[in-house]
Amino acid sequence: MTGISVWFADFCDLFYKCFIKDDRYRLLVSGVGVTIKVSLLAVLIGILIGMLVAMSNLSRNKLFKAIGGIYTDVIRGTPSVTQLMVIYFVFFASVNLNKWIIAAIAFGVNSGAYVSEIIRGGILSVDHGQTEAGRSLGLNAFQTMTRIVIPQAVKNIFPALCNEFIVLIKETAIVGYVGLMDIQKAGDFIKSATYEPGMPLFGTAVIYYVLIKILTLTLRQVENHLRKSDAR
Amino acid sequence: MIEVKNLHKKFGGLTVLNGIDEHISQGEVVVIIGPSGSGKSTFLRCLNLLEDVTEGEIYVDNELINTPKVNINVVRQKMGMVFQQFNLFPHLTIMDNITLAPVLLKKMTKAEAVKRGQELLERVNLAEKADAYPAQLSGGQKQRVAIARALAMNPEIMLFDEPTSALDPEMVGEVLDVMKDLARSGMTMVIVTHEMGFAREVASRVLFIDQGVVMESGTPQEVFSNPSNDRTKLFLSKVL
Repeated sequence: MTGISVWFADFCDLFYKCFIKDDRYRLLVSGVGVTIKVSLLAVLIGILIGMLVAMSNLSRNKLFKAIGGIYTDVIRGTPSVTQLMVIYFVFFASVNLNKWIIAAIAFGVNSGAYVSEIIRGGILSVDHGQTEAGRSLGLNAFQTMTRIVIPQAVKNIFPALCNEFIVLIKETAIVGYVGLMDIQKAGDFIKSATYEPGMPLFGTAVIYYVLIKILTLTLRQVENHLRKSDAR
Repeated sequence: MIEVKNLHKKFGGLTVLNGIDEHISQGEVVVIIGPSGSGKSTFLRCLNLLEDVTEGEIYVDNELINTPKVNINVVRQKMGMVFQQFNLFPHLTIMDNITLAPVLLKKMTKAEAVKRGQELLERVNLAEKADAYPAQLSGGQKQRVAIARALAMNPEIMLFDEPTSALDPEMVGEVLDVMKDLARSGMTMVIVTHEMGFAREVASRVLFIDQGVVMESGTPQEVFSNPSNDRTKLFLSKVL
C-alpha cells in the first residue's frame, strides 16, 4: 500500500513540476491551437491541390499529366521534413507571411500528392458505364463528372480522406523545425526546462491521442451518415 | 435517318468492324443478330460515337457526326441508349434519374420533366417507384426505368445494346413488352439482341453481322426462314 502511495506522490510532484509550475500547461494549450490551425488549413490546401492534380492526371492533356506526375513523384520521393524546410527557408524566405500559414502551405503541398491519388482512385472506382450513360443522354464531360461520377466517388473517397487527415495531424509534429511551438515542440520545451523526459513526452503523446480520437469518432459519425443514405 | 458508309473500327491491331454500309430509315425497327465478338455491339456504340470511328462516315439526319466540327452532345440528345447493365445512377431516385438530363440540358423545366417522367413511368408500369432508388428495384424494373430515362429526352432514335442479356429469364418478358410497345408507337429502333423470337415478331429488318461485316440483311421472314448465307445458316442452326 505504501509503495503505491509513494509512487502516486512522486507522480503528482512530477505532474506539478512539468505542467502546473510556471504555468507550463499554457505552452501545451497554445501548442494544441497551433497544431489544429496548421492541420486544418493544410487539409484544405491539400484537398484543393489534390483535386486539381487528380483532374490533370485524369485529363488527356499531356502537359497537365506531366506536371501532375512530376509533382506526385517528387513529393512522395522526399521526406516531409525536407519539404517543410525547403518551402519555409527557400521558397518563402523573403515572403512576409505568418509562420503557421507557411507551414500549413508546406503540409498542404505534401498532402495534396496523396490526396490526388485518393481522389483519382475514387473517380476510377465509379463504373465506366455511369459515364457512358451520362454521355449517351447528351451530357458533356464536365456535367457527367460533376453530376454523376463525383457524387458517387465521394462516398468511396471519404474513409481514405479521413485517414489522410489523421496522418497529416501527426505529420505536423515536425513544425518545430521551422520554429513553431506546436504540441510536440511544447512538450520538448518542457523536457529541456525541467530535465524530466518522461512526463512531458507522455503528456504530448496523450494530447495527440485524445485529439485524434475525437476526430476519428466525429468523422465516423459523418461517414455513417453518408452510408445511411446508401442503404436503399 | 441514319446512314453509315464504309465503317471500320479497330481496337489496336484488332479489326472489329470491317466496312459496314447501312441505311436505317425513320420508323424502322432494325434488329442486329450475330455471334459474340462479331462486332454487333461495337457497331451500335459507333452510331452515337461511344466508340470513336477508325474510318468511314456516319450521318444522322443527313449530318456527318464523326467530325470534330459537330457537337456530339447535341447529336446524342436525339439518340437514346439502353445498356445491358442498365447503368442507372445509383445516387439518384428513379424520378431524378429520368429528369436529370432534360432539366440539365434545358429541354424542360423541372415541373415539365417531372410530369413527363410520371407519364413515362406509367408507360413502363412503374409509376409507384418514382421515389425509390435503383438498388430497390429488380433487374427488369431497372431496365424499364432505363428505357424511360432515355425516352425522357424525346429522342428520334433508340439504341438497345443487349437490353435483356443481364436479366433473369423471368424478367425478360416485361422488358421486351415495353420495347414492343415502343416499336408499335413508331419509334425508330436499333436493337442488338439474342432474343430471336422477339426479332422475328418485332423487327422490320434483321441484320446478321459476323466478322465485322453485314453478312445478311432482310425481313425476319427472309433471314430466319430462308437465309442465303452459309454463316447465317450455321448461326441460326445453333440458336434457333
